[in-house]
Amino acid sequence: MLVAIVLIIFAAAPLGLLARSAPRPAMGWALAIVPLAAFIACWSAIPTITAGGQVVNALPWVPAMGLELRLALDGLSILFVLLVSGIGTLIVLYTGYYMAGDPSVGRFYMALFIFMGAMLGLVLAENILTLFVFWELTSISSYLLVGHKHEYAEVRRGAQMGLLITVGGGMAMLLGLVLLGSVVGSYSISAIIAAADTLQASPLYGPALLLICLGCFTKSAQFPFHFWLPNAMQAPTPASAFLHSATMVKAGVFLLARLHPALSGTPLWATTLSVVGMLTMLVGAVVALRKDDIKGLLAYSTVSMLGTMVLLAGIGGPDAPAALASIILAHALYKGALFMLAGVVDHEAGTRKLSELGGLRRVMPRTFVLTAIAALSMAGFPPLFGFVAKEELLYAATDSALPPWLGLTALAVVVLSSTLGVLAAWRLVGGIFFGPLGSGVKPKAHEAPLGMLVGPGVLALLSVALPFGLLPALSGLLQPTVQAIAGAGTKIELYLIPSSVGLPLILSVVILGVGILLARFTGRIAALPSPLPRWLNGDTLYDGAISALLGGATSLTRLLQNGRMRSYMLWSLLALVAAVLPPLALYGLGGLPPPTLAGVAPYELVIPLLIPVGVLATLTARSRLGAIIAVGIVGAIISLLFVIYSAPDLALTQLLIEVIATVFFLLVFALLPSAFERLSPRSTRVRDGLVATLVGLTMAGVTYAAASSTAFPSISALFKAEALSVGKGANVVNVIIVDFRGFDTMGEITVLFIVLLGIYAMLRLRPMTDSTLAEAPRSEFVSTDFTD
Amino acid sequence: MYDSIILRTIARLMLPLLLLLSLFMVVRGHNLPGGGFIGGLLAAAAVILQIVAFGPERARELIPINYLRLAAWGVAFAAGWGLLGLLAGQPFMTAFWLPTPIPGIGKIGTPVLFDVGVYLTVTGVTSQLALVLAEEPQLYPMRQPGHKRKPVAPDA
Repeated sequence: MLVAIVLIIFAAAPLGLLARSAPRPAMGWALAIVPLAAFIACWSAIPTITAGGQVVNALPWVPAMGLELRLALDGLSILFVLLVSGIGTLIVLYTGYYMAGDPSVGRFYMALFIFMGAMLGLVLAENILTLFVFWELTSISSYLLVGHKHEYAEVRRGAQMGLLITVGGGMAMLLGLVLLGSVVGSYSISAIIAAADTLQASPLYGPALLLICLGCFTKSAQFPFHFWLPNAMQAPTPASAFLHSATMVKAGVFLLARLHPALSGTPLWATTLSVVGMLTMLVGAVVALRKDDIKGLLAYSTVSMLGTMVLLAGIGGPDAPAALASIILAHALYKGALFMLAGVVDHEAGTRKLSELGGLRRVMPRTFVLTAIAALSMAGFPPLFGFVAKEELLYAATDSALPPWLGLTALAVVVLSSTLGVLAAWRLVGGIFFGPLGSGVKPKAHEAPLGMLVGPGVLALLSVALPFGLLPALSGLLQPTVQAIAGAGTKIELYLIPSSVGLPLILSVVILGVGILLARFTGRIAALPSPLPRWLNGDTLYDGAISALLGGATSLTRLLQNGRMRSYMLWSLLALVAAVLPPLALYGLGGLPPPTLAGVAPYELVIPLLIPVGVLATLTARSRLGAIIAVGIVGAIISLLFVIYSAPDLALTQLLIEVIATVFFLLVFALLPSAFERLSPRSTRVRDGLVATLVGLTMAGVTYAAASSTAFPSISALFKAEALSVGKGANVVNVIIVDFRGFDTMGEITVLFIVLLGIYAMLRLRPMTDSTLAEAPRSEFVSTDFTD
Repeated sequence: MYDSIILRTIARLMLPLLLLLSLFMVVRGHNLPGGGFIGGLLAAAAVILQIVAFGPERARELIPINYLRLAAWGVAFAAGWGLLGLLAGQPFMTAFWLPTPIPGIGKIGTPVLFDVGVYLTVTGVTSQLALVLAEEPQLYPMRQPGHKRKPVAPDA
């Protein structure tokens, strides 16, 4: 079932391309059926999960590497699967309205479905390598989503930034996952969890943990990598709502929760996660108060909440898993709704800037009510689900397993960022809907069509409905989730009205009270100058790093690819010497017998001595024709050697190659002056001579070592014995070429063909002037778009 | 190209002989010195001889083959016989042989046919390279419009 769900989502991706040039919203309704079916299918598995069971599907993939497509639906993944497919349904529906009439909607749907399938695969993966593949697929597909309006440079920059940062972190994570797998001996998540003790005792635990954290922190936009998330707001709003409420950025948090049973409980885990989480919370909460763009505000508030989730994954204690699960759910509900409503406001009022918005509550009453509900849930007002989750958060923060000083800091940070969260929620609602009508609002602004409000409406109303009567059922549903995070003994009991007045409730009241008191100053807070210097800013640093990278690449290319044959030869040959000479000198030549002349006939000695004669003649030749002929001498003598040592095949080949090479030399050299000019300075010629000598010595050493090494038994006896019986041929050389080593030959002729394509392209597809174009050979001439 | 009657006469005579010799080399290659590589080089030598004697255009007319395609088909042909093993559920390039030798040719099996693919590839690649080089417009500046007589490398 699970494999089918993921594959069907992928298979639905091209359906959007059936759209007409001006698609109607009905398309969204039709396509929403696909994720809805996935949602219902997973919903039907809830009884199995709450009974403590699992749904596991496996499909062999690369058996040799222990890689199989093994998907498992357990307590943790079901929460995410339901969120991804449920919110995905609403997003698909909402997209139909948001992008109605936009001919590029098909492309958008395609990326959206690929992303959704990747996300489902990620949360369902039972193997960390499978998980990694889907992880990278979410990065790539979100790049397509963010970069949807690729005509704009800012959009391309935002998409590229998200891709580079998440994929860069993903590379570190892959390293960490491989370390994990090498310690445990298996890449299966259940095996890794079962081996938690060995893992934490291993010296590789620290590096593996930090590398995996790097992947999670980049993906989940943790400080100091948080800046890609606000830049990813260049995405069309449905994509932002999907990526940043329930999916993409939660992937890091998901992986931390997934590996929590295996990795948590050490000071390194607790300190890393809680310190990074706290910094992220504060940075996000503070910057959210300064953003003028409502999507930017929501982005930074998301950063802050992601910090909260990472903190909760790190602090430990009996209530942290429950808080983590309920915060994930609450955040997905209200942030999904708020992003979609921001899109509604943008769509209908024509601007997203708080400074240009205002007074829309009479123009867009339904949007106003839904936004208010979602924002109140975000601020943590009772009786909304945000309040329930915030209570859990405060419980967890007051009862953490951190050392006291860190625990107190964490509590203070939670209270502070929650208070700032209240202010951010008020900025949003007050800035859009209260006060005089904004300057940037379209003259004919009106309420959005009802269908467009279905998506945000369902999510906002769930924030209201869940606390009333559904909390026990929800606790039952989340019970397996927290047990998957922190072990079988963990409990979750969500409530609206606390049984006793404790510190968490008091703090909750304080947060709301201070928030309300400070709400009237939000305008002034937003106008405060930034305390940080301009250069100390993720965006600036990123741009600097990118331009440094491009500059470095350019100068490296200039150094290596300067268009001169001589320097290409120089670099290639030096690389060969550097790779071959040290190991040869250190290991290859030791223990070999010294060269001996015993058993060599005199004429066998004379013939090779003619080779240096040919070489010297080549070097001293005055004309090119002379040099070509002198090179031919060397080849001819080598084929004579082959004849003497009874290798007729090699002799034939060598001779033919010599003939053909001579013709090629003549053809090419016809374009050059006939006599050699001495243009390079003496120093260059000496350098080239040294390099040539070095290469010659290296190759001679390799040949000698290969021919006289006794480290391995020779294989030629086997070939001789089996050529006729197995290879059915008397010519051993040919049987080796076409049968025993046939695969090598296959590679060689492929290389030969590719070389031909390269030369053909170089000579025929180059820019030509009009006169050469007119006179170029007619047969097979490939026309080009290049001009000089 | 050289305007030499001796060279042209010999080249005309040698064309069928060299091509036959190249085929002969492929056929006997499995048991005696020879094989696809050698055969391919011989066939290319036949083409190159025509290029040297008559020029690339006449060489193309004499043997009207698209050598680029010939090389591509050669690679595909060689790889195709390797696929036979996969179809039989065995590793790529597993050898299969006909039970009885064919008179005049010898035993026929996938390695021999693979060698034919090598022959076609080497023939195509080498001949095409020679043609591409020989058809360089700069080699024949006298044929370009608006050309003024410039000294050409005498050994070309």
